[in-house]
Amino acid sequence: MALLSRNADRIFWAARYLERAEDTSRLVQEFGELFDDMPSDDPHENEYRWAPLLAVCGDRSLLTSEATEGDVVNALVCDPEEEGSVAQCVAAARSNLRTTREVLPREAWHTVNDLSMFVASEVARARDRRFRSHVLTRVANDSRRLDGILTSSMTRDAAWQMWRMGRYLERADMTTRVVGVRAAVLMAQSTAPDEAGRALRYDEVQWMGVLKSLSALQMYQRSTRNAIEATSVVRFLLFDSTFPRSVRFCLDEIDRSLDQMSRPDSVRVAVAEARDGLMSTMATTTDGADLDQAMDWVQSLIGKVNGAITDRYLSIGAA
Amino acid sequence: MDEFLNDDGTPRPAAAALWKLFDEIGPDEIQARQQATELDILTMGITFTVYSDGENIDRAWPFDVVPRIIPGDEWNQVQLGLHQRLRAVNMFIDDLYNDQRIIEAGVFPADLLEDSVNFRPECVGTHPKFGVWAHISGSDLVRDHDGTFYVLEDNLRVPSGVSYVIENRAVTKRAFPELFGRNQIRPVDSYTDELNKVLSSLAPDGVIEPTIAVLTPGIFNSAYFEHSFLAQRMGAELVEGGDLVVGDDDCVYMHTVDGRERVHVVYRRIDDLFLDPEVFRADSLLGVAGLMRAWKAGNVGIANAPGAGVADDKCVYAWMPDIIRFYLDEEPKIANVPTYRCMYESEREYVLEHLDELVMKPANESGGYGITIGSRATEEELTACAAAILDDPRNWVAQPIIDLSTVPTLIDGKMESRHVDLRPFILTGEHSYVTAGGLTRVALKEGSLIVNSSQGGGSKDTWIVDDTGGWEPQPVPASHTASQSQSQSQSQSQSQSSAGLDQEGGG
Repeated sequence: MALLSRNADRIFWAARYLERAEDTSRLVQEFGELFDDMPSDDPHENEYRWAPLLAVCGDRSLLTSEATEGDVVNALVCDPEEEGSVAQCVAAARSNLRTTREVLPREAWHTVNDLSMFVASEVARARDRRFRSHVLTRVANDSRRLDGILTSSMTRDAAWQMWRMGRYLERADMTTRVVGVRAAVLMAQSTAPDEAGRALRYDEVQWMGVLKSLSALQMYQRSTRNAIEATSVVRFLLFDSTFPRSVRFCLDEIDRSLDQMSRPDSVRVAVAEARDGLMSTMATTTDGADLDQAMDWVQSLIGKVNGAITDRYLSIGAA
Repeated sequence: MDEFLNDDGTPRPAAAALWKLFDEIGPDEIQARQQATELDILTMGITFTVYSDGENIDRAWPFDVVPRIIPGDEWNQVQLGLHQRLRAVNMFIDDLYNDQRIIEAGVFPADLLEDSVNFRPECVGTHPKFGVWAHISGSDLVRDHDGTFYVLEDNLRVPSGVSYVIENRAVTKRAFPELFGRNQIRPVDSYTDELNKVLSSLAPDGVIEPTIAVLTPGIFNSAYFEHSFLAQRMGAELVEGGDLVVGDDDCVYMHTVDGRERVHVVYRRIDDLFLDPEVFRADSLLGVAGLMRAWKAGNVGIANAPGAGVADDKCVYAWMPDIIRFYLDEEPKIANVPTYRCMYESEREYVLEHLDELVMKPANESGGYGITIGSRATEEELTACAAAILDDPRNWVAQPIIDLSTVPTLIDGKMESRHVDLRPFILTGEHSYVTAGGLTRVALKEGSLIVNSSQGGGSKDTWIVDDTGGWEPQPVPASHTASQSQSQSQSQSQSQSSAGLDQEGGG
């Protein structure tokens, strides 16, 4: 079954939007829970320590932003006008799947439509901490439910491969962002001499939060069987070949999808470069600042994969 | 006439089982089921798009949970009439673009054809497969005070609504499972398979597994939901103009991730004039340059054929009984509403003298727009209408006001009578097919006759019920096909209530 280039574009992006919505939801959720475990005596700090989350999802410069918890949750979750917010991503995914209903199983559309109606009416309540987890859990669960529907009932055709590639590309991108910003901040803290004692106090809890926000905690623990330790966490999230949210795994899956696509050479080259680039950052995993820079670079390589997919599959015949 | 209830308020036999169920479950439960269907419609994303203040709004499909019931044996007669009608219509269109025998015979006036806005000179001399031009049509039917079915108009260009027939049934099954278990209600699901067969049969000779594409104007079209629905159900591609290209070999291709792939049949849901900027409107962004070339070369099937709309205007409608007699040498099996043609002086004068008793319709408007219902118009509106008729008589027809039948409808939790019409869909290829029932549209405002969903109308599931388990067939009302257009007598204009229905969302 041939896949229209226009539909390939919509499905690829629907997958990216939905992955983004899911990942952001989990990130916001875990961030809130992390702070519950780390009460600060300083109310000012309590108010402003959400800023790094903005940097994960957006620009690095936002690390020092003056945004409060309310601002951050609003920007990342509730505000449909905000680029990349959960509300916007879900609406965009719905709009894309609405125009590709003939390609995907019917239940897939019902799921996204249902989620979209829920988000449209309830997302504003996520500003309230007591209701936040209800909204965010629903988004993450429905996103995974959709994956389940597709996995169990969709033909492994080009549309399926576009869906997979969109999912894994966004996931790889999000993992590098989380690792880049959060890990770099944490490691910088733990290596700064006079702050060392204090940072280390929370080290384990904080790394646990990073792992949780990527749904990786339990699998990390099973794979290392040791106490949580910074370098091994970063290595697990970047290089593990069997954990499905690691950057390496995501790139490998994209490569696997390309096996089923016609004339994938140009994209394969970009994927190989991203993978080689990723593996070459192994040496940086012990230093916060280096790691931060390395993740920026890997993100740009992932961006090139996106560009290669767009040129090869998504913009054929486009005026 | 109320289709469920006798004048004394007792249920007619065909509605007895449903009425009994309503009695048993009570008004609260009926209302609860209505709400459940509305929720289903929301979750399933069954929508239509309306234009308002320059914005496109995706609205939930308006649906009334109380079904409409038509006894099977009555429906069989209607089906025969529709088969006959579409056979004649297609022969008529094919004749107009080729030999024009009907004009030569003096049955259809030549100047009417010359004036027709839907006649496409570009199509003259073309011979589509099976001589069929209007493969998919939707004829709007109404029933009058004694239950007689009339064809109100034929929609031969891009009739819409069939997806809602199927979706209405899906939600009604959930609402009244107890009745579906007990009665023989004819299924409606097979439409898309039948459509698939007809479309496949239009592929160029020698193509075994044709690729079918549904050509949509895009997401902002009022019927986009349906375009998508039909593509899904047929496993066809849903394409926009930009997805297609006509190659140097005069074949149609679509842009896929594997490169260009041949398209054999285009089910187009855009109007003729936007189909091909090389031939029709040069500024059209919706169509495909070269599509007409490919069609004429026999490299692609197009449904409906370009130019099929020539038989779709309300002036041609007035000649339909003559057309059936001319090509088939049969009397029409389903009645036409008597229609006055303002192009003829005597009929025009009659119309102008009886404006308040008639419904005046511009010949080439759809969606119920431009219609004046004489009995409800103000003096100024009638004067304006008269001026419009005198200004362009060819564009106007008038019909006596028909006393539309009603069906009980849930309004604010109570059962109230509302006027309905019915749009069955007819497929014509090598063989023909009529849907079991069709799309029942209901005017939700009390006394209103405007059923269009774009103007506040709702819809109902339509049950064609074959008798079992206590369903008594209704006696078939005496059909009267007498005094149709040729013998237009002025005494027919009993003024009652009226019929203001039109092609919905075409284009």
